[in-house]
Amino acid sequence: MRALWLLPLALLGSCASPAPDKTRLVIQRFFGACEAEYGRATDIAKAEGECGIVTTMINRFQAENPDVDVVENVVFWPGYDQLTAQLAANDAPDLVTMHGSVISDYQARGLLEPLDADLAAIGAPPASFTTAARTAVTVDGRAWGLPIDTWAPLWHINMNLFRKAGLVRGGKPVLPRSPEELYAQAQQFRERTGKPYLVQGAANEYAGFTRNFYTFVMQQNGTLFRNGRATFATPEGRNALQLFKTIYDRDFTTKNQDYSAAVAGFLKGDGGVFLVGTWMVGTFDAESRKTSGALANGGYTVMPYPKLFAREATFADGHVWVMPRSNHRRPGERAAAIRFLKFFAGHAKHWARTGHLPAFQAIIDSPEWRALPHRDNLAILATTAQPLPKQVRRQFPIETIVGTEAASAISGAKPIDRTLSDMERRVNEVLENL
Amino acid sequence: MTRSRLAVALVVLAAVLMLVPLLWVLALSLKANGELMVDTASVFNGRFTLENYRNLFGNGAVFRWIGNSLIVSLGMTVGVLILASLAGYGFARLEFRGRDALFVIVLLGLAVPEQAVIIARHQMFSWLGMHNTYQALILPGLSAPFGVFLMTQYFRAIPKDIDEAALLDGASRFTIFWKLLLPLTIPAQATLGIFTFLSAWNDYWWPLISATNKDMFTLTVGIASTQMNFAQTEGLGFLMAQAVFAGAPMLIVYLFFQKYIVQAVAGAAGR
Amino acid sequence: MSARRDWRGVLFVAPYLTVFVVMLVVPLAMGMWLSTTKSDLFGTERWVGLANFVRLFGDAIFLQTVGNTFTFVLLTGPFLTLAGLGLALVLNRPERWAAVLRTIFFASTVLSVTVVTLVWRLVFLPDGGLLGVTAEALGGTPIAFLNNEKLAMPAIAVTTIWWCIGLPMVLFLAALQQVPRDLYEAAALDNASRWTTLTRITLPAIRRTFFLVIIIEVILQFQLFGQAQLMTLGGPNNATRPIVLFIYEAGWRQWELGYAAAAAQVLFAMILVAAMLQYRLSSRRAA
Repeated sequence: MRALWLLPLALLGSCASPAPDKTRLVIQRFFGACEAEYGRATDIAKAEGECGIVTTMINRFQAENPDVDVVENVVFWPGYDQLTAQLAANDAPDLVTMHGSVISDYQARGLLEPLDADLAAIGAPPASFTTAARTAVTVDGRAWGLPIDTWAPLWHINMNLFRKAGLVRGGKPVLPRSPEELYAQAQQFRERTGKPYLVQGAANEYAGFTRNFYTFVMQQNGTLFRNGRATFATPEGRNALQLFKTIYDRDFTTKNQDYSAAVAGFLKGDGGVFLVGTWMVGTFDAESRKTSGALANGGYTVMPYPKLFAREATFADGHVWVMPRSNHRRPGERAAAIRFLKFFAGHAKHWARTGHLPAFQAIIDSPEWRALPHRDNLAILATTAQPLPKQVRRQFPIETIVGTEAASAISGAKPIDRTLSDMERRVNEVLENL
Repeated sequence: MTRSRLAVALVVLAAVLMLVPLLWVLALSLKANGELMVDTASVFNGRFTLENYRNLFGNGAVFRWIGNSLIVSLGMTVGVLILASLAGYGFARLEFRGRDALFVIVLLGLAVPEQAVIIARHQMFSWLGMHNTYQALILPGLSAPFGVFLMTQYFRAIPKDIDEAALLDGASRFTIFWKLLLPLTIPAQATLGIFTFLSAWNDYWWPLISATNKDMFTLTVGIASTQMNFAQTEGLGFLMAQAVFAGAPMLIVYLFFQKYIVQAVAGAAGR
Repeated sequence: MSARRDWRGVLFVAPYLTVFVVMLVVPLAMGMWLSTTKSDLFGTERWVGLANFVRLFGDAIFLQTVGNTFTFVLLTGPFLTLAGLGLALVLNRPERWAAVLRTIFFASTVLSVTVVTLVWRLVFLPDGGLLGVTAEALGGTPIAFLNNEKLAMPAIAVTTIWWCIGLPMVLFLAALQQVPRDLYEAAALDNASRWTTLTRITLPAIRRTFFLVIIIEVILQFQLFGQAQLMTLGGPNNATRPIVLFIYEAGWRQWELGYAAAAAQVLFAMILVAAMLQYRLSSRRAA
């Protein structure tokens, strides 16, 4: 019986080690696993979805670079617990997907490698990125990764219901240009269709609230953060929360749906506009090509958040390939990583089919991209999509705090002014203890 | 000992309530993801498919994950049974200096939450360069005081005359332990075995931060990594298939051990 | 009763104690030191003494998590113990149907927390969830349990009970098996009623296990994490945020490892006090 306990130790000795001659490249990413469908696929043009496209890209890179042993590590979104643990154990991958909003945290601790020289060498200098993508990877004037995409929350519109509500003109949806117009149009929508104007995943989910809050404060030219501290208790903050509180109070939105229920709800025609991000464009577009269902027969379009206040702006974030610092990365391995980045940049236009916005301005300007469904409407986001400034660290936990508090205000659990001051206080506590 | 019909009826009713979510998991696992994304109630329309299970086995990594989980869970179970039985006997039956104080210290260990030690453990294994090994996954679990607590209680409950009789016959302490008392604790061993195996099998956080290379993923970590998005919208059926698949070995282990827990009432050896 | 003082007894406990010290005591001490520093996972910035603890006790969110955790333990601990005992008493028989029922009650425990919370979220969903649909069929309005500040914690408690009932049941079953048969035979000879047998023989005989189960359940449920994280993210408005979620967010999301470690020490102290109180109670009863 005791021998059984020695079994694990024996197994350790027999663990396989990689072939010593091949250069090993460890690429770590989220986006899920789709082995069954794309395990061996290399045709990037035929792949669908985030998982499919990135898997085929990596497979194709491996096929075209037989001297590199590519190890693809798929992790549960967003993978930061693992990455942090790996960095602490000095065992980080060579390339990893990271949100733009999180880069400054890792960069400030010296955990990432700057890539300016490499990006220039592979023909993808920061000047070739969109404004939003460039902002996402630049800290202190240097570039810390290759942007993959920019994603933003969007207004996904059920055109069939909009038509019924009389909110379509010239084949385009009529969108409000101020909060008052929004209330009026929402009222009209409800009267003519019997459904709420908005579909929102409001339960067990806080990011949506944060994105809405940030977006509408930005639209009012409000300042969210000043000198590394949060400034939420402002008239702009108030207006942003009041907007959604009014929508909630007047039943212009679905309630109590979690993310999955909201997706299902929109697909079933629960409301006119679904507030969710770029990643759903493909799914909804596919539904609109069917002949049955709420979005059938082309009953879908998507627009950026309408300009309800002073200027057009939408809060955005994005995905980036970054290279964690490592003491024992050999030059050959580093070179292989850069080779992959070059390959990815070269095939970046395929990533656009996920619905996310391309990171390269050239792709945005290309007719090929514009021809993709609904992308014409979204082109403006290349300039109006706005991430938070890089000086703001701990953006993920801040997002949770802002979202939870905003949710309380909107549902009426807490008065708006107290919410804003609580939000500010809690976020500043995080920022003070960096 | 007879039991009232009412109690049994209540238990059966409770069992039905317990069963409903379980059956639902099974039903969801047999539905196409696309259908479920539009409407989870589509599980009632009777169109079932095995595509989720097919996709599961299409991912070759699943077998690697199961292999890792099996090694870790079995290793930890065997290790805990050995260490806890030895220590339980020592604390229950043998007198040595500091025994009671040591036992109290072990008991205090029961109160230590995983959060208070997980980071330090991670650092220790980092210093030794031992992450991504089976040892790193097994060793922390061996320190859990629950097993020692349980076995000590069981050994204490065994009447001492058995020991006395054997001692008079000149048997060594170890022989008494190995030949006489250990067999009498089989229900406790089976219980401890089941729960150690279960806690190792379903452990998530420690394998997440220690076994970060995909070759070392355990089943829980591996399954989590396949989810396309954090809200599990797109692959609900697939996720349920994975859940059924992950839970099945545990259920088999339970079925195997539970007959040791409840031995036949009729004709059982009295103690 | 001759008890030999024999140092060789140490040999029996030594293997376990070695692992115990290395894997539990040392990390615990390291964690205690960590709680007096300002650190993140990549290094320690400076020593801050008790500042983290002072900050904790002024942190309204932390204090709320303490209250939430207590509430949760009170909602689940006693119920799990008593229900587990009841099930074990009824199902402690060799018939096939009892074995089937035992398996049903255990089956939920084999599922991982991800799946359990996913299924129960679907149960509690007001819009098309199991309870919502049932309520509508019966003519009522569905309640949004997980969005309701007062009902979210009980909902999580129900989920947890469904998930965890297997452990106490199996522990009690094993204990019932150890009750000597002759006691029952003697009681039968005396024509003792079912109730008398239960209260005078069975329950006293498994008294040790009863207190073990209560202590274990309290310790386990104090460490509530997955269900709250996955079902409500600690909301709405922090109503269901338990201490462990607070520790996780402080350490892994806000990168304030020292602060998180301090909260972990507070949790440890709370569990210790609770467990010791119970142990005191149980030894008093046993005496």
